Amino acid sequence: MNHIALKMLMGDKGKYLGIVMGLTFASLIMTQQPAIFLGIMSRTYSFIADVGLPDIWVMDPKVQFVDDIKPLQDTELYRVRGISGVQWAMPMYKGLLKARLTDGRFQTCNVVGLDDATLIGGPPVMLEGKIDDLRRSDSVIVDIDGARDKLGKPSPTVGGKPTPLKIGDSLELNDRRAIVVGIAKVSRTFQSQPVVYTTYSRAKSYAPRERKLLSFVLVKAKKGQDLAELTRRIHETTGLAAYTQAEFKTLTFEYFIHNTGIPINFGTSVLLGFIVGAAIAGQTFYNFTLGNLLQFGVLKAMGTSNWTLLRMILLQAVLVGSIGYGLGVGLTAVFGFAMRHTILAFKFPWQLLLFSGAGVSLICVFAAIISILKVIRLEPAIVFKG
Amino acid sequence: MPCTLGLTQRIDMQIKYILPLLAVAGFLFAAYTVINSNQPVPVAKAVTEPASAPFKAFIAGAGIIEAQSQNIAIGTPLPGIVKTVAVKVGDHIKSGAPLFYLDDRDTHATLAIKLADLAKAKADVSVAKATFSDAKSLSDLAEAVTDRRAISTEELLKRRNAMLITKARLESALALVQQAEAGVADTETTLSRLIVRAPVEGEVLQVNIRPGEFAQAGFLNTPLLVLGNLDQLHVRVDIDENDAWRFDKNSKAVAFLRGNRSFKVDLKLAYVEPYVVPKKSLTGDSNERVDTRVLQALYRFERKQLPIYVGQQMDIFIEAKDYAPNQNSENHPKAKGSSS
Repeated sequence: MNHIALKMLMGDKGKYLGIVMGLTFASLIMTQQPAIFLGIMSRTYSFIADVGLPDIWVMDPKVQFVDDIKPLQDTELYRVRGISGVQWAMPMYKGLLKARLTDGRFQTCNVVGLDDATLIGGPPVMLEGKIDDLRRSDSVIVDIDGARDKLGKPSPTVGGKPTPLKIGDSLELNDRRAIVVGIAKVSRTFQSQPVVYTTYSRAKSYAPRERKLLSFVLVKAKKGQDLAELTRRIHETTGLAAYTQAEFKTLTFEYFIHNTGIPINFGTSVLLGFIVGAAIAGQTFYNFTLGNLLQFGVLKAMGTSNWTLLRMILLQAVLVGSIGYGLGVGLTAVFGFAMRHTILAFKFPWQLLLFSGAGVSLICVFAAIISILKVIRLEPAIVFKG
Repeated sequence: MPCTLGLTQRIDMQIKYILPLLAVAGFLFAAYTVINSNQPVPVAKAVTEPASAPFKAFIAGAGIIEAQSQNIAIGTPLPGIVKTVAVKVGDHIKSGAPLFYLDDRDTHATLAIKLADLAKAKADVSVAKATFSDAKSLSDLAEAVTDRRAISTEELLKRRNAMLITKARLESALALVQQAEAGVADTETTLSRLIVRAPVEGEVLQVNIRPGEFAQAGFLNTPLLVLGNLDQLHVRVDIDENDAWRFDKNSKAVAFLRGNRSFKVDLKLAYVEPYVVPKKSLTGDSNERVDTRVLQALYRFERKQLPIYVGQQMDIFIEAKDYAPNQNSENHPKAKGSSS
């Protein structure tokens, strides 16, 4: 019987391909659009993810997301350091500063100031140079994307690509000299500004004069210390907000979910993909069943039970569903692979595989149910009426 | 016919197998992408491990190293051009040793004038003495005449008065000598003030003056010379005013060298400055910002214990009472509640 089901399915190549195509595109849209959405959303907190060493971030209680800097007094660092359960606490400066490039252009940069002695919070991957080089005078480390593009020197030919910034090149940050001593690879951020790493005290001298300049206190908990307990203790003693890395990511993520149109935009396109996919696949599958109604009628007249017919239709649905799903996620992966070096945000977690799988299954179940109803209600006599 | 049939069959076969194969390949590639693209970002290690407190509850603070005598910024009593600098950075000097000499040609010239004045005054004294002895002998001669008729009263008075006048002149000349001597002493004092000397025994930490430069009197942002006694070092710890209530003079304290936490030293309290001062951020910035007030405690340690220099920053941990001010206040009502 299964053999007959497959024969029926693949007998009409046009319809077969139609069903598979419909499901492929439904699965493609349901995977690719959420992947781009997740990619963009993960960029909102990529800076937090890049700073992997500390467990807890301490900041002003009114901070809403990672780029919403509300500086603290410098002494807060020592108050946090004095809380039991804290292994160490380090200062971090993060702010947007204007860099003046060699050709006179201005570029806003994300300047990150690391603790002078330990350089904790530095870039995860160094492509050229070492983090220690930040100890040299006026030194900064620039991220590769910024160095290649926004901070690059103008091209010698008109309209050409900018010459990438190299080690030894200089920048001007707020009228102060900065020498590039390293190139780092960092995760792209939401605003895609070039990231400039330097030491905390130097960042303070680059930053415009303000009374408070300490953006974050990075805390490492002692071994065996319960993080929730420690964040509560830090909050109670200092009155500052303390989040674990995951909590801070969630805070940032939720800020963007609630305050930008991104989730609605992508939600609608995913929903449309689902509806269009369901409509096309469902309709073609239903049409296909209708077209084969005669054959089903013959089988029924020959005494095949409803249960067997049901199994046949389910087999057909599962087969086209899996093929469409496999092709769809495969195409998404190819798309992501092809775009891996571009600015496009793309993130493909395993949950997404399940999500689109569930979506395609839903479409197939829907298509199969209406077909099954048709077949079950079928009178075998119809065969002889024609 | 068989040929076309074979072709359609072959296409059938292709569709039958190629699509599922493609689907399987697609799924596998997607699974590969999922695994490959979601590897966690590598964690950037700390360049040097940060120091952490060896106590359960503690106060943390930044400390700056200073000499036991504090760092003495040497000033000059008189402004002037520096002639020679007698010490180098790092010299160990005794109390009273000359540090630098100011240009003294002017004062030497004045001294010569004053000495000449003294010589002149002294010469004037001998003239006055001679005049006085002349007048005195004439007066004595007249006084010795026993017969009053042999000399007129006028003559006698004249000689006596001349003697008294010259005596007064002699006294005036002697006073002038004293005046001239005082003038010489004054110039000599000025001369000695042009040599700046060490007020205490210690080490020269900084020399900011070179021969030919103008040394200004008064308070300077960059001291001419910094002097300090380095046998024992003090570390000045800033304790946030919010933490000051937890500070206990008798509790243990440990200092860690920045950049290498294996260098640590136990501290002994030297003294606490009871006046809470506005904190300067210890960044070395010339425009230091004031953000809060801090209690300053000074701890001491032997210089030999650490490879450290005056002016360096350290991370200090002082053992203290546990924070939890809220917990205490919360515990009390709870305890009451549970008992009742």
